[in-house]
Amino acid sequence: MSQYEVLNKEKHRQLRIKTGYGAALGDAVMYAMTYPMEFRDIQGCYPILFTKDPNTGGFFAAAVLGFEADQNLFLQDDTWDASYVPAVMQRQPFLIATGGEDDKQAPVVSLDLKHPRVSQDEGEALFDAEGGATEFLNQKIALLDKLHRGLQHSRGFIDTLLKHELLEQITLDIAFNDGRKESVQGFYCIAEERLYQLKGDVLESLNQAGYLQPVFMAVASLSRMRDIIERRNRLRL
Amino acid sequence: MVRLEIFGDCRASEATLLVSDSDRFVPQLPLAQLPTQAPALWDTNGHMNDRISRIVIVGGGSAGWLTAGVIAAEHRIDSQAEHPFELSLIESPDVPTIGVGEGTWPSMRATLQRIGLSETDFLRECDASFKQGTWFRNWHTGSGDTYTHPFTVPIDYAETNLAPHWLALADAPQFADAVTAQTALFSDCLAPKQITTPEYAFVVNYGYHLDAGKFAELLRQHCTEKLGVKHIKANVSQINATESGDILSVTTDRAGDIAGDLFIDCTGTKSLLLGEHFKVPFQSRQANLFNDTALAAQVPYTEDEQPIQSCTHSTAQTAGWIWDIGLPTRRGTGHVYSSAHISEDEATAQLLAYIKETAGDKAAAGLVPRKIPFQPGHRREFWHRNCVAIGMSSGFIEPLEASALVMIELAAGMIAEQLPPTRDVMDIVAKRYNQKFLRHWDQIVEFLKLHYVLSARNDSPYWQDNRAAASIPEKLSEQLSLWRFRSPWHQDAGAVDDLFPTASYQYILYGMGFETMPRQTRSYQQSQRQAAELFRKNAARATQLRQALPGNRELLNKVREFGFQKL
Repeated sequence: MSQYEVLNKEKHRQLRIKTGYGAALGDAVMYAMTYPMEFRDIQGCYPILFTKDPNTGGFFAAAVLGFEADQNLFLQDDTWDASYVPAVMQRQPFLIATGGEDDKQAPVVSLDLKHPRVSQDEGEALFDAEGGATEFLNQKIALLDKLHRGLQHSRGFIDTLLKHELLEQITLDIAFNDGRKESVQGFYCIAEERLYQLKGDVLESLNQAGYLQPVFMAVASLSRMRDIIERRNRLRL
Repeated sequence: MVRLEIFGDCRASEATLLVSDSDRFVPQLPLAQLPTQAPALWDTNGHMNDRISRIVIVGGGSAGWLTAGVIAAEHRIDSQAEHPFELSLIESPDVPTIGVGEGTWPSMRATLQRIGLSETDFLRECDASFKQGTWFRNWHTGSGDTYTHPFTVPIDYAETNLAPHWLALADAPQFADAVTAQTALFSDCLAPKQITTPEYAFVVNYGYHLDAGKFAELLRQHCTEKLGVKHIKANVSQINATESGDILSVTTDRAGDIAGDLFIDCTGTKSLLLGEHFKVPFQSRQANLFNDTALAAQVPYTEDEQPIQSCTHSTAQTAGWIWDIGLPTRRGTGHVYSSAHISEDEATAQLLAYIKETAGDKAAAGLVPRKIPFQPGHRREFWHRNCVAIGMSSGFIEPLEASALVMIELAAGMIAEQLPPTRDVMDIVAKRYNQKFLRHWDQIVEFLKLHYVLSARNDSPYWQDNRAAASIPEKLSEQLSLWRFRSPWHQDAGAVDDLFPTASYQYILYGMGFETMPRQTRSYQQSQRQAAELFRKNAARATQLRQALPGNRELLNKVREFGFQKL
């Protein structure tokens, strides 16, 4: 369960945040949400697929980390074996809520008090002795800000993909070396055939909105699928 | 107030999609395979024979507009085309539509998709909810007994007949509960899908409950704005015949004469073209099914977010039964009964008592139900010369298994698929159409009668009369005799397009305590282990579904807010 609160410098003065990586720190997830502005970093390490938010049915992009629930094939004890960790993982246990004191729509920094990274005595402090934000917290806030903007840009990106019918369902039927078969459902990818039929004016509008490059990065990222299948094979051998 | 933004957590376990059950219950309405090569339409002199290119539908309502939608979606209406095709619908601005038929079969999903409507728009605009079957109460003994007829066939039905194995169980759960996971959703008003399930797709099979008036309105808008159907608001005052006796045109009070090649009669019980003009006789089925009157009443919910039922509720009375349909905004109820067996006052009192019982005294106070008398039966033929009747103009029977809308879908589908290219071949299509729909009507009568024949109620002459041998169609009597010794399965299917599949017979028979004493055949013994495994699998699936599926109300609220994705 989660317990979300808006970050408050009096109330959360003593809190510390555990850094590093590990299943015990909440990193054992099958995929991590991502957004087009991050695709350049993501596609170097992970396949980018699309899936649906279970609460709204809306699509979002995801960096695939494993083939079953709670399986992160990049996690090796306390290391994350990749040159880039998705921003949505780096920001834990923080998130953005809307609802400032003056402006109800204003984004405010919040956190999940039940997140395993939240501690009373271990890890990085959020506030210094004077009550000011530490360098650590400022970095997280900057990350959240980037994420927030990235996710807002992502909405238009997703709407545009749907408008041009550029997503299609994909079922991953994979036979691993140890004989186990996995059929992963619920993911979507770029519909390449339709992508290559797009006409000039559509391509231009996609390019102007900054959507064209990430579409191709998502296509190219599927070559990373070989890598995670290899990781999965090594796991059982 | 703090509203949390997305990207809280995205654990895969929450997002795991459920794999859907098979969809075999749906009567198939396949998209037409139109011949790519048009048949020879030109005679040797280079003259075109009587090409059928102008269709005129007389009457709106669900029947008229649904028919218009299905035909128009199949045949492109394009005035610029080499052989233009026109579809007009003449609707009287003065006659209100009757607006009954608020339950659909799962086939409606395919029909709406075929017409090109988005499911999200349909659910929002028509106050629609999900229907997963029918829940029957007091039909067997009258003392609180219940059973269900779900839209999903028994697990592994294509390969294994579980009925004899269920009959052999000592402490068996109810038949439907033992053989399908779907019924596990009913008690908590759970939905047949998730918000992540694409539009028209399902986790468990479903149709709809809807507001018939709003449905006709949505279809009208879609047909006229998107599909090119011409809407003529006028009253038909005269029918003009050709020398051969076909309908040449209809004269209207404010749009002149409307000529056509094929006329579709959707004028309701009036049956203006087929009945009044062509005098095609009416075939009463009241000797089999006694009910001839309905009293309809809308009931408000008692609380704002009250759960919406997953099924049509059907509660037997002393001389009929009460329907109860949950829409997002209200419930629709009604008492359908035999006027020969109960007075209108008594029938009204029973309906009000039901409303009091299920919605409280306040909901029943001051309610005046709307009376709809009807003659149970149908025309002797439905397609005569160049005129075909669809909807109530072709026939009507009590809505016990919600057959009204599905019959419209089937009729419109067959016309769209087999639209005769010329007048020459129309009579052949008409003959086949009539054979097929007479068979459908016979099966509806037999299947509905099954519900009455199996009742053990003795509290009124109505139930006793219903079991009188003379009132039972011969085919049904024969089937019941056979089914004492083996349960219905694939060998009992009459035709590929049977309206009610054999699985439906199983649900009614074993829901109502029918006893079959199957033989201990070799195939029965061989499938015993398999059956035990299937019962276990079904129970596990039921648990999984109950955990994963949201309430109907919750899902419909989400549809309102977010809509379903198209993929």
